[in-house]
Amino acid sequence: MAAHGEADQLGTTSDSDQGELNETDAPGKSEDAILFASDDFDNLTYEGLAEEAQKPVQKGTIHAIVRQSSNDVDSRSNTPNNIDHDSSEVSAGEESVEETAEQAQITPRADNTEVPDTVDASRIEIEEEDAYNPEWKNQKKHVFILSASGKPIYSRHGKEDKLVTIMGVMQALVSFVQDAKDQLRSIVAGQHKFVFLVRDHLILVGVTRGMDSTQQMLLQLMYVYNQVISVLTHSSLNKIFKQRRNYDLRRLLTGAEKFFDNLLNLMDTEPGLLLTAVRCLPLDSSVREIIAQSIVQNAKLKDLVFALIIVKNQLVTLVRMKKYYLHPMDLHLIINLVNASESFKDAESWTPICLPKFDASGFVQAHVSYLDNDCEVCLLLLSVDRDSFFILSEAKDKIKARLIRYNALQAINASIKRTSYSTQQCGIPDLRHFLYKARSTAQYTSPELEAPYTEPAEQERLFGMYLYLHHRIHTSGRPLKILFHVGEYETLLGWVTQGFELYAVFGPLITKTSAIHAVNKLLRWIKREEDRLFILNSVTF
Amino acid sequence: MASNKVDAKVVLLGKSYAGKTCLVERYLKDRFLGETVPYQNTIGAAYGAKTVNIDGHSIVIGIWDTAGSERYEAMSRIYYRGAKAAILCFDLTDKSSFDRIRFWIGELHQHEENCKIYLCATKCDLVEENPERRAVQDSVAKALAKDCMANIYETSSKTGKNIDELFEKIAEDYVKEKVAADELEQEAIRIAEIGRKAHCPCS
Ligand SMILES: Nc1nc2c(ncn2[C@@H]2O[C@H](COP(=O)(O)OP(=O)(O)OP(=O)(O)O)[C@@H](O)[C@H]2O)c(=O)[nH]1
Ligand SMILES: [Mg+2]
Repeated sequence: MAAHGEADQLGTTSDSDQGELNETDAPGKSEDAILFASDDFDNLTYEGLAEEAQKPVQKGTIHAIVRQSSNDVDSRSNTPNNIDHDSSEVSAGEESVEETAEQAQITPRADNTEVPDTVDASRIEIEEEDAYNPEWKNQKKHVFILSASGKPIYSRHGKEDKLVTIMGVMQALVSFVQDAKDQLRSIVAGQHKFVFLVRDHLILVGVTRGMDSTQQMLLQLMYVYNQVISVLTHSSLNKIFKQRRNYDLRRLLTGAEKFFDNLLNLMDTEPGLLLTAVRCLPLDSSVREIIAQSIVQNAKLKDLVFALIIVKNQLVTLVRMKKYYLHPMDLHLIINLVNASESFKDAESWTPICLPKFDASGFVQAHVSYLDNDCEVCLLLLSVDRDSFFILSEAKDKIKARLIRYNALQAINASIKRTSYSTQQCGIPDLRHFLYKARSTAQYTSPELEAPYTEPAEQERLFGMYLYLHHRIHTSGRPLKILFHVGEYETLLGWVTQGFELYAVFGPLITKTSAIHAVNKLLRWIKREEDRLFILNSVTF
Repeated sequence: MASNKVDAKVVLLGKSYAGKTCLVERYLKDRFLGETVPYQNTIGAAYGAKTVNIDGHSIVIGIWDTAGSERYEAMSRIYYRGAKAAILCFDLTDKSSFDRIRFWIGELHQHEENCKIYLCATKCDLVEENPERRAVQDSVAKALAKDCMANIYETSSKTGKNIDELFEKIAEDYVKEKVAADELEQEAIRIAEIGRKAHCPCS
């Protein structure tokens, strides 16, 4: 997007004839959040990452849950008042988990199908096909994963094994800078930005010629890294590379490529990942309450940590174990798992998944099933008990029966058909589209994409504007609260407060005063609709 | 993993792309979508069940279709624990899938002594259509089956060949074993009762 017109900075105390932004209570705000609310984007720095890498990975959430539930059993059966939940005594429950955790470790298989370390001439020739292929070069965004020793693991475009040399160069760059006790963060070359993230034994590289800022690329690489952890766990990843520095990780990731592909596509189209916030399927709060209660009543099970329903990348409900919150980044990985896996539609599934923000050291087991014939309403039951499939399957049948009895499944389907809502419904003439994030609940809302944003190219341009606005308003060192930007085809207004982030797109001719009036009106509209657009009560087992 | 509703737990194991999901799909839903739907690897494992009648016994078989990707191997025990039968699948057109079978045999011998093994050579329609595609010789496969005292079936999910036969055999073997075990138990009870009667002074 050409930066036509001047980006303008407004203070909150602008002249009243210019209009004034009323910083009222943030719509969608709740003290009783269901998701972990943290400002991941602002907090994501290379320094922070380096510090984090020094610390041992926070471990044991899963152990704690199992210990807690075994204590619960104890307290019911014998000593009701004397249980010290924080006692470090090893309970039988923990021991058994330790044992099973051991079994679950992924270990590299020692056989002879290793990819050779040296690159022979024939390979280079093949490689030239990809890296010199104009179509490949023209891709807007590349993402690569390679091992610290330079072995290709994943490439978004082209076949990673045909990109041996280019990955070798990346590894050389990273280690060259590392040798100087420094860290390679990003390179700008012409139109392209190269962003590097080195974590554990992996090097992740993002290359873009789009609107993404370095910081935004870094966030995307974090998601990709978390996706690796989600498939393998942090403990296994470390163990594997400690045993064999040269290990070909692709072997353990076969079949998982689609998770990376899908995640990267989601990141280019779903604003939720950028905002580290989730979108809820609009529903009357009474219906949502019925759904949550159906889960609570039928799935109050010892080791069940989270139960959630997802529809078209949107959250319908989330019930959680007391004390444990789901992080929006983890929720996006769950959404991505569902979104990328056609095979869940054929049968009830039982699959391990690691939620890196929750506990990077181990897996939880997910019972995944669809509740409707069209396979749109997906129920996930996440448990730390790996033998609970049939208990959860039974719980699922009861939940489904109750949702049908109370017409809740029908209400969900109606909401899907109705689509979200049109910008017009907000009653603001010049407003074309917006993103609104309630920070305390890590949820966001936005209307359907309508004209002029119906074609993919236009949608991509709109997304690019949001990236630009988001970047400008978050640029560290010069944090803006409000940004008014007049572009060639539209005018943008971004506003960030303690309670919310708002990004609004108007027609090109709107004045600053009208835009401010419009935004105030929009906030009042969202406030009126907040019960439907957000989940404001947290339901626990 | 046990459920009181399931009588016989059956698990499918084998390399990715060997044809496990298609086999189960053919058996449970009597269809083959391989021609129209692109390959979708299984995530974790999928569960399905079917009730069959064998000699007047109605039994429920619970089938676990596991994912073949290597990263699940370390966790495969959750899926095969307590299984009465394991179907080890290999693709007749892929030698490496056959080489993997020994691993599963070892794994089951070590952890699930009571699990009966059935070898399943999949995609036989492909080698019937074009014998040159055969990568695993019949004699070699049979030798392995003999080695581990397993039955071996050549199946095609596309044509349905031998699939009902395979599951029927599993169900029959299960019923046979169960009847034998029940008889043994009855016998034990009878003996115990005789013993009790002999010792009871009041009778
Ligand atoms: N011609 C033919 N193709 C088959 C047959 N069975 C499976 N296929 C094809 O082989 C491929 C793999 O089949 P799947 O059943 O999905 O393999 P899988 O063993 O479940 O693989 P994972 O889930 O990754 O472990 C698919 O493209 C099927 O269409 C068969 O009997 N005949
Ligand atoms: Mg499969």
